[in-house]
Amino acid sequence: MSQGEIRITAEPVDNHRCKFVVSQPLHATGVRRFASADEAKGSPLAEAIFAIPAGGVTEVIVSGNIVTVVKDNPAPWQAVGKAVGAAIRAAAVSGAPPVAAKAAPPSAAGAVNDDALYEQVAKVFDEQVNPMVARHGGRVELIDVQDAVVMLRMGGGCQGCGMADVTLRQGIEGMLAQFVPAVRGIVDITDHATGANPYFQASKK
Amino acid sequence: MLLPTTTYRTTAFVEAARQIGVELTVASEQASTFEGANPAGLLTLDFKNPQRAADDVHVFARRQPIQGVVGVDDDTAIVAAFIAQRLKLKGNPTQAAEAARDKHQQRQRLADAGVPIPRFALHLLTEDSAEIAKTIPYPCVLKPLRLSASRGVIRADNPQAFIEAHGRLQAILAQPEAAACGEPAWHYLVEEFIPGYEVALEGLVVNRRLHVLAIFDKPDPLDGPFFEETIYVTPSTVPAGLQASIKDCAERAVRALGITEGPVHAELRYNENGPWLIELAARPIGGRCSAVLRFGDQKVSLEEIILRHALGMALPSLQRERPAAGVMMIPIPGAGTVQEVRGVEDAKRVPLVEDVQITAHPGERLVPFPEGSRYPGFIFARGETPSAVEAALRAAHAKLTFTLLPPPPPTSSVAPTRP
Repeated sequence: MSQGEIRITAEPVDNHRCKFVVSQPLHATGVRRFASADEAKGSPLAEAIFAIPAGGVTEVIVSGNIVTVVKDNPAPWQAVGKAVGAAIRAAAVSGAPPVAAKAAPPSAAGAVNDDALYEQVAKVFDEQVNPMVARHGGRVELIDVQDAVVMLRMGGGCQGCGMADVTLRQGIEGMLAQFVPAVRGIVDITDHATGANPYFQASKK
Repeated sequence: MLLPTTTYRTTAFVEAARQIGVELTVASEQASTFEGANPAGLLTLDFKNPQRAADDVHVFARRQPIQGVVGVDDDTAIVAAFIAQRLKLKGNPTQAAEAARDKHQQRQRLADAGVPIPRFALHLLTEDSAEIAKTIPYPCVLKPLRLSASRGVIRADNPQAFIEAHGRLQAILAQPEAAACGEPAWHYLVEEFIPGYEVALEGLVVNRRLHVLAIFDKPDPLDGPFFEETIYVTPSTVPAGLQASIKDCAERAVRALGITEGPVHAELRYNENGPWLIELAARPIGGRCSAVLRFGDQKVSLEEIILRHALGMALPSLQRERPAAGVMMIPIPGAGTVQEVRGVEDAKRVPLVEDVQITAHPGERLVPFPEGSRYPGFIFARGETPSAVEAALRAAHAKLTFTLLPPPPPTSSVAPTRP
């Protein structure tokens, strides 16, 4: 595929987070999350995004044809977005895998396949969890499944919500226990402090 | 767990329940979007109507047995008492919970029992403030009956200040969420101002006996005109003999109110005449302040102790850990909309500081006391001595800079009309 045929649509969530939807898959075998330039070593696409000058990139998540970039720089996405787009195009046409495969976990009897779990959890999120939290303007993003532990991030009305832990423990956890019982735990990696529009806001002593 | 949607306590209690493997049913006054998916774990109750809430839980308990009930704030403490009575669970008598909630009832009971409290008088908001101002001793404190966190509490040193304070309180009580508490929003207390040093006492009542969990010093003077809390540090540096009389005063108040079980949080002052009971609530310490309390070698949380007690489980040591600990409720930096908070990472790097939590979100409007009451965040520290902890809290606070956008122009407040 030539560079000119790749289409990229940027979908900023806010000034810190943007999803780039690419017209071709970049990592078809699950999800990779990189929380630092060090972690990105060996994955050319993630390395290039972390290297964007003054980008302030703190996290890159690549899943299928979606690249999610998080930056701590509060500037709008125009400038950094162009550089991310260029990095995606360069990685896509290079011929090398844009993202290295995740190192296999140590094998053990009865070990679960995180990629398979990811698909199952993603289905529960898409079909059940997100339609429910959407009623309060919220959303829950599946970041990764590692060693059967689900990493998720809450957004919209859920981010910073005073009842986020109730949603997590009494809602999502129960749902996963029912539909994906192999899940061993949930880690909420949301930065609740930066939630600008929490549905319920703590205010009483 | 009775968790209002506005509480700061959700995480602490939910995590404590997980820690001890308790299956939770969370009840709130607004429905969770997951209630249909987890009908055993989520419930909506009308916290404004404790009797009805208790009836609803009674029906619920037929399909999902309930073994204990815990309220986390002033309102849910009453609901918990009604539920406990209906389901025959461990809890306070409903009259005791109500007396602890209503500042006037509380003072009447304490006065009847001879507990040292400020002189007080109940007034209707609609009474002529200029007439009242002529007849009362100064300095005095105006207090609403039901608001929390010192919201609406104003000191007046003379008749003019009283009339101005009355006008402010009238506007505060006309706000929808204050007016929603009904009849109590039409009254206020005028109380004698007690000069002195203020402390807070955290306790657990077990079978009518008060166990003191911590006494906190409040090193910043609370002399008014408004009463915004800042620093709590424990252990208290108050001499042991005086701490014993503070505990005795709180114990007498617990007995006078009829509190038999569960957490209590009391505010007391002391001066040359000894300790004075200022407030006592049948709930744990508010905000996120409980994070500074850890008990026994296992560093058990206050929330775990409260849950264990409610469920009749064995209690761990109620002896607080040895190091000093403190929390600062970050003072409201002014009126306006939060644009940015800088210096959080620097504040976290101050030695002894364990955490800095900014709870005000970008775009949130901050309202200073006495109209407001929501702190923009909390700073936590732990160290060898109370003075080192206090210094660390102040040093961390000095690193923070709040950038606020100016508040919208004031709208004219409308004096309430009694229905």
